[in-house]
Amino acid sequence: MQLQDKYRIAVLSAYALALHGIENLVPTPIPWLRLGLANIVTLVALVLFGFRTAMMVTMIRVILASLFTGTFLGPSFVMSFGGGLTSTAAMGLTYRMSRGLFGPIGLSLVGAFFHNMAQLVLAYILFIQRIEAMYIITPVIVLLGTLTGVANGAVSGLLIKKLLKKEDDRIQNDIANERQSQ
Amino acid sequence: MKTVIRNTTVADKLLFLFMITASLAGIFISRAAMPQGGEVVVEINGKKAYAFALDEDRIFAVPGPCGDTVIEIKNKKARVKEAHCPNRLCEKQGWISKGVIVCLPNRIVVSVGGRSANSSKEVDAITG
Amino acid sequence: MKTRIQALLYVLFLILFFSCGKAKPSIYKKTKPLMDTVVSITVVAGSAEEADKAIEKAFSVIRQFGDRINFFSDKSELSAINKNAGITPVRVSAETMGVIERAIFISEKSGGAFDPTIGPEIRMWDFYKKIRPEDAAIKKNLPLVNFRDIIIDHDKSTVFLKRKGMMLDLGGIAKGYAADLALAGLRQDKIAAGIVAAAGDIRAFGLKPDGTLWNIGIKNPRQKSEADELIAKARLTNKAISTSGDYERYFIENGRRFHHILDPKTGYPAGQCRSVTVISDSGVFADGFSTAVFVSGPEKGMELVREAGVDAVIIDKDGGIHTTPGIKGMVTFEDSH
Repeated sequence: MQLQDKYRIAVLSAYALALHGIENLVPTPIPWLRLGLANIVTLVALVLFGFRTAMMVTMIRVILASLFTGTFLGPSFVMSFGGGLTSTAAMGLTYRMSRGLFGPIGLSLVGAFFHNMAQLVLAYILFIQRIEAMYIITPVIVLLGTLTGVANGAVSGLLIKKLLKKEDDRIQNDIANERQSQ
Repeated sequence: MKTVIRNTTVADKLLFLFMITASLAGIFISRAAMPQGGEVVVEINGKKAYAFALDEDRIFAVPGPCGDTVIEIKNKKARVKEAHCPNRLCEKQGWISKGVIVCLPNRIVVSVGGRSANSSKEVDAITG
Repeated sequence: MKTRIQALLYVLFLILFFSCGKAKPSIYKKTKPLMDTVVSITVVAGSAEEADKAIEKAFSVIRQFGDRINFFSDKSELSAINKNAGITPVRVSAETMGVIERAIFISEKSGGAFDPTIGPEIRMWDFYKKIRPEDAAIKKNLPLVNFRDIIIDHDKSTVFLKRKGMMLDLGGIAKGYAADLALAGLRQDKIAAGIVAAAGDIRAFGLKPDGTLWNIGIKNPRQKSEADELIAKARLTNKAISTSGDYERYFIENGRRFHHILDPKTGYPAGQCRSVTVISDSGVFADGFSTAVFVSGPEKGMELVREAGVDAVIIDKDGGIHTTPGIKGMVTFEDSH
């Protein structure tokens, strides 16, 4: 791993952590409605810097956030760890297998869906153990996840565009500078 | 907004539509399939003999030492409609939507509810 | 660097795997008709199988004890004692001995307000068929009611009733003792928390899976609708709670309520209370003292409760509520009271 990569992962993780924290501060009308803002960072990292970076950023965010809130290795940590791992893996796989087929919104939907499914399975194992309750709650959570997933995907798309353009401008500038110096 | 729409591929849109339809359909199906989750369980001599959904109206008879005990399920409540035991306490208990009706002479326990639902507001046992 | 992170993640997974291997304990409850009443046992256990095994074992403990002290069964140890009244001492099991010795203890403490030799009187009443014995018959049998005429030989483990016609009836204490026996069985089976409820005679131990105390409802003696079923709720653990009430078995004749808790001194239903709830460390004392206090009435009952070192909620014949200081913080009364 190069120094530049480490630096990039650190910065992205910091962003993700901040969004994770902000999300916990925002009151939601329904207790299990999570905006999944941190997924924006994961998605941007995936598209711009590849799967490994995205996974590292997710893991670091989940572990650090649980350390800050004192829930490390507790049930809620297991929930967010499992959700983050599954959704990042699912998005990475979809992105690689169907390059160009899905845009950021589609990827975000995939991520949200797998995040929710992983958390539902974990919640079933850890807390609820009543399959009837799961039948009722699963479609509701998937619907909410779809809505927040679209919103996150849209924001990610804009961010990716902006960052790519900035990068493009920088390269153009560099080329222009080099030419001048010659 | 324009950039967002331009950014969206056909597959994105199809996936979105699919997810929305599937989850909405799932909500309706799950609601229809189990609106209450309540169950009426009839035990005879401590053994589970019958189990019926609380939201399906029906009348059925359970045999016992003092003759048939008729149990009715209606409007998400259950009662012992007819009993032939000496004091007919079970009949007098009337409709219940949770808890148990017990007929001692017939050794019949009719319990209504899901599996030991236990919120902190509910009592775990009653003295008296 | 890469391998180190992979190793770290691997270790993390191992920790997660093992820390979540044990199933989360939950509450399991079963109800069975036993001892001519309804017995419910609730346990906190890791699996349904574990709970089922412990509960069934506790049920069989109660069934065995119930068979030994059954007033109506010819085969019970109790009816052997009663049949041999005035004739010969009868050898009994440790459980039967235990409950009779405790019954005598409560009789002595309460000065006869509780008396297990009430058998000849209670036998004549039928609260379902609304049969009230003749006044003369009640008077005639009164001399047979005296706990001092029970002769116990602890070493030989025999019980003897001095006079012919005497009859032990352990109805006022047996369910509390059954709860004690069942709870000891559950503890032996490594159950850490639960409730044994032999009708209204309840023993609770340990904590619920969410770490809270058990909630026990106290019945409203004059319930009018489903909404006012309870008069109070007690939050407790490692305690026994029992209630004696005039509403359990009764009939009303000419506006007068005749119920099953008889005053051993008169042979008629005790009239000073509607219900008495006693909270104690043992089921047998909660059950026995609730009857003793009910018969003694609110004033004498309060003295008795203080001497015995138990807590009580007394609802007198006019609906007035009397409580011991220990009740505060443990029992909350419903809004309408």
